[in-house]
Amino acid sequence: MGGSGEVMLSGRLDAAQTAKLQEFLDRIAEPKVIDFKDLKYISSAGLGVLLKTQKRVFESSGTLKLTNVSKHIGDVFNYSGLDQIFDIELVDAP
Amino acid sequence: MERSFKRSLASLDEISEALQTFFADNDARTEHLESVILAVEELFTNMLKYGGGTGDIVIAVALDDGELVVGLTDFDVDEFDVTQAPEVDVDRPLSERQPGGLGIHLVKKLMDRIEYNYVERRGTTKFFKRLNR
Repeated sequence: MGGSGEVMLSGRLDAAQTAKLQEFLDRIAEPKVIDFKDLKYISSAGLGVLLKTQKRVFESSGTLKLTNVSKHIGDVFNYSGLDQIFDIELVDAP
Repeated sequence: MERSFKRSLASLDEISEALQTFFADNDARTEHLESVILAVEELFTNMLKYGGGTGDIVIAVALDDGELVVGLTDFDVDEFDVTQAPEVDVDRPLSERQPGGLGIHLVKKLMDRIEYNYVERRGTTKFFKRLNR
């Protein structure tokens, strides 16, 4: 957990991890930024958690910003059409 | 490589490690490794949910002249052909999007092709990905 409403993800977000993440995000009243800098992997189960959280945030007139998203993870969002739903900031190319 | 894995989400770490080891042992280009792991996870978790299987799931991985071939086999199950899964409309607005249903869509997008075979209550889903490009 970073600053106000900022969450940092790390490691691999597969289907075995999503329940913990959902529980964590549900406890944050107004999540604003999710930093993907140390996130190596995400599957559709992880996308589902973020989509559910985005719906909740959107209802209170907000939107989630995803920062430092790698090219591979960015592609997963694009193929899912979720690049139209989240504010995504790709990591700078090395 | 051919190994059986317990039908549990707890197997996902082991599956990911096995695929990483396969790529390293075969000097395979790793730019598609995470996509391959994702495809296997989506198909594996699908097998956990559908088909009614209770035993281990066998994953076979081979590299044939630069083309990766991965097969997941579930035994004593009902027929469940993932290649016939309905298309997901990824252009719908947030209000109409629901969590779930994206897994097979991603496999189809990220891999070159996907096949399903069902014989004597044994269901095998196989996908192909050319790595040398």
